[in-house]
Amino acid sequence: MATRAKTSSNSNLLDPDFMARLERLEFVSRKIFAGKMRGERRSKRRGESVEFADHRPYVEGDDLRFLDWNIAARLDRFFIKQFLQEEDLHVSILLDASKSMEWGKPSKGHYAKQVAAALAYIGLSNHDRVSIYPYANGLVGELPGVRGKRLMAKVVDFLTTLEFEGAGNFTLACKQYAIRHPQRGIVLVLSDFFEKGGFETGLRYLLGRELDLYCIQVLSPEEIDPELAGDVRLVDVEDQDTAELTVSRALLNRYKQNLQAYCGSLKEYCTRRGISYLFTATDVPFDQLLLSYLRRRGLLK
Amino acid sequence: MSFLSPWMIAAAAGLTVPPLLLLYFLKLRRQEMPISSTFLWKRAVEDLHVNAPFQRLRSNLLLILQLLILLLAAIALGKPMLEQALSHESTLVLMIDQSASMTVAEANGLTRLEIAKREAKKLIDGMSDDARAMIIAFCDRATVVSSFDTNREALKRKVDSIEQTQSKSTLSEAIALAEAYSQNLIIGGQTTGSDIAPTSAAPAASAIIFTDGRVEDAANVSLERIRSDNVEVVTVGKRDDNVGIIAMDARRNYEQPDLLEVFATVQNFGPEPVRCDAVLRVRDEDGIASQIDVQELSLAPGRLSSEDAPPESGADENAESKEASSSGSKRQAAPPGSVAAVAFDEFAYTGGGIIEVSLTVDDALVADNRAWTVINPPRHVDVLLVTAGNLYLEKVFTGLPVSTKIISPAEYETLDDEALIEDGRSKFDVVILDRYSTDRLPQGNYFFWGSVPKIEGVSMGPRTEDVFIVNWDETHPILRHVNVETIQVYEEFPMQLPSDADVLLEGETSPVLSLLSRDGNDYLICSFPLIMEDAESGEPMANTWWFAKIHFPVFVFNAVQYMSASVAPGAKSSIPPGEPVQVPVANRRKSLNIVRPDGTVDEVPTGGATSTHYARTRLVGVYEARGATAGQDRFSVNLFNQNESDISPAASFSIGASKVASGSRLTSVNRPFWQWVLLGILGVLLFEWIVYNKRVFV
Repeated sequence: MATRAKTSSNSNLLDPDFMARLERLEFVSRKIFAGKMRGERRSKRRGESVEFADHRPYVEGDDLRFLDWNIAARLDRFFIKQFLQEEDLHVSILLDASKSMEWGKPSKGHYAKQVAAALAYIGLSNHDRVSIYPYANGLVGELPGVRGKRLMAKVVDFLTTLEFEGAGNFTLACKQYAIRHPQRGIVLVLSDFFEKGGFETGLRYLLGRELDLYCIQVLSPEEIDPELAGDVRLVDVEDQDTAELTVSRALLNRYKQNLQAYCGSLKEYCTRRGISYLFTATDVPFDQLLLSYLRRRGLLK
Repeated sequence: MSFLSPWMIAAAAGLTVPPLLLLYFLKLRRQEMPISSTFLWKRAVEDLHVNAPFQRLRSNLLLILQLLILLLAAIALGKPMLEQALSHESTLVLMIDQSASMTVAEANGLTRLEIAKREAKKLIDGMSDDARAMIIAFCDRATVVSSFDTNREALKRKVDSIEQTQSKSTLSEAIALAEAYSQNLIIGGQTTGSDIAPTSAAPAASAIIFTDGRVEDAANVSLERIRSDNVEVVTVGKRDDNVGIIAMDARRNYEQPDLLEVFATVQNFGPEPVRCDAVLRVRDEDGIASQIDVQELSLAPGRLSSEDAPPESGADENAESKEASSSGSKRQAAPPGSVAAVAFDEFAYTGGGIIEVSLTVDDALVADNRAWTVINPPRHVDVLLVTAGNLYLEKVFTGLPVSTKIISPAEYETLDDEALIEDGRSKFDVVILDRYSTDRLPQGNYFFWGSVPKIEGVSMGPRTEDVFIVNWDETHPILRHVNVETIQVYEEFPMQLPSDADVLLEGETSPVLSLLSRDGNDYLICSFPLIMEDAESGEPMANTWWFAKIHFPVFVFNAVQYMSASVAPGAKSSIPPGEPVQVPVANRRKSLNIVRPDGTVDEVPTGGATSTHYARTRLVGVYEARGATAGQDRFSVNLFNQNESDISPAASFSIGASKVASGSRLTSVNRPFWQWVLLGILGVLLFEWIVYNKRVFV
């Protein structure tokens, strides 16, 4: 199946060995969510699974089927048996599809697609409901709730055909997402977070939904350690904004400082609000990111 | 700093700088690069701009550095020279002339002394760190301004402290001081107590003399420890135009003391003929000045350049200057016509005051353009002749312009104090005691004939015959115009006198005529009387025929004048600058206030003595001693020195027998330093390379 998905999509997004190893992973969520369908996750809602959860005193109107007759016989009092209910998990991937993601070698966009595909695959393998929302200036597409591994091909197709276009507006995208998805679940944001409008407002929209949030910041090595020299005129690929500068050591140092401070502020913002933050460069092999790094950070188990 | 070819700088800079600037204007073509987001970059650039000082400059730092390189290269092409006073000697003695001729202001407005100081400071700056230098200032005397010191700043301050004087310059004392100090320095570095003459490892001191070359005694100075090739002379000054009064005197007419005669001698030392006026002024005792006479002078050039034929004297129209040139000067004969004797018309003036002769000329040296002399009102000389009867003396005094009182020795002893003493001094200018000795000698002047004063150290032997005068002081004013050779004396009383007595006539074994000064009294003692009682008969007999000679009254008048003149100065009232002057103190005051010509007042303690000395006389002009004996409370200081007035710097300079390197070897070492400029270019180039590569700045 994985192989088919790979071949049919005719892309190098996921390689079959890697997908096989992904199968062994599954999502862990630090919170237990209520879902639309029963999945392989426990829910807070007491349900009809086989696993016993608790007793509670009988009140009128309760389903007599769950009455614990043994206790009634022994104590002459009525208790209702409660069972854990298993639910499916809603996993949303917010993928930055702005023009800036197409930059870098390898491009951040490609890397982000790989990560998104892998995460989607893991979600599908665990019968979770996976949605992918690429965004640029607002949400620009949607792969709504797919479930089941056999739909992986659909996911890969979606990602492969995805184009990086236009300027990013994270705030607008988050607002739209929050309106469209009242359900709780896991939200993964894959972006470079180079937002001229700031990331705070956007994240606040998501936080208001009590979602389990993961931010993965993807930067290319050229952004982390730029190799510029001489007098250059930098052109922003998104809005064609230009910056004329003469590159100097002091400027480079200052840039790195600023970058660090920016990432640091993002990380701190996330940590304070219970958002998991992850920083990765595109030269970190993405399978390593998934297999060891993400697992270590508690996203996978 | 100077340039050998300054035009090269302009040419090189003009050729290279505009193209460089042009290149800079054309240069900036930025490479375009896409970037994921300019967001962080813009922030970085802004941060850097806010933080970096001189950012405008920094953006052009490379251009500035390159311009600097070009300019330095242009300067190097201009062959820069650094004028440097280099001295490798480790022990230097700087001698700076502070005499009158150093007041001359040169073309750049600085006086010669200031130039000399500047040169000396330049030299001190060029000293190596371990070099020592001492500073001596010299005029009529030498002063150690600073002993050996290695602190250059302190030395320069000391140089600045040297004051201008208006006295003559002599070098011998300065050389002696320098040798003494440098000798001490050498010994000081050795172990003492050795018989071996100390030879020091320290290099011999070298002396540098900053002067205009007008040193009076340069030929008489001998160098002993400083070798003559270690002596260098830095000649300062160029001007040579000067007219100066080299002599001046005011005299009262012998017969009519109310008439005053004033003479002056004026010499032109410059290369150009000069016309000027000599103005005679009198400032009376109330300080009111009035102009008496003006004489026009025309002086021929005082200096002949070697090519010039001796000029026809420009003084043909002036008979006086012709006469003057024949009287000549002691120095090398002045060119004819350059010296003029000025005789002002006699004028009646009975009061005392100050006679001033000034020249209306604008020349280099001011100190010799004015001359002063102090005159006193004509005085009647009072003479007291104490004699038992001496026709010859009495006759002589009737013919002299003095008032004479004749009394006998007995009358003298019984004379009232009021009649004899006034203000603690004898009322009479001269008291003549003929064959009579007494100890009643109030302060005054005494002339003893054939007797001695009763004071300590003076005694008289028994009468002896056959007196021969073997030697005499013909320069003494008392013996002026006295034909001593013709004096014959039969008998005398040989005298014993203290060794400080001034012997005027000297006999075979004892002095015949002596001048002795004791406690403000002057005694003129003659060992023989004019009349002598005959040994056998007791008849008075002539002891000498001198009184029959024509020069006897001359002698008596000389003696009376000389001795009374020591009370009423006239001839002594002018002294050369720097010379100490004796001021009699009135009423044994504790201190005198001396008003100097520049208006400042010096307080001189007297210690209760009858006279005191004052030596701060290095300014020309009239000094007034307040509290001095009336009539002797003023004296004038005049330059009257042809050597100083001749201000043209000496072309060659010799000390003792050896000629000393003169000129500007020391002060004008021109060192090319384009190498250093090139080194600077390399340095800037290196810096530019670093800046470009490391991009230290935006």
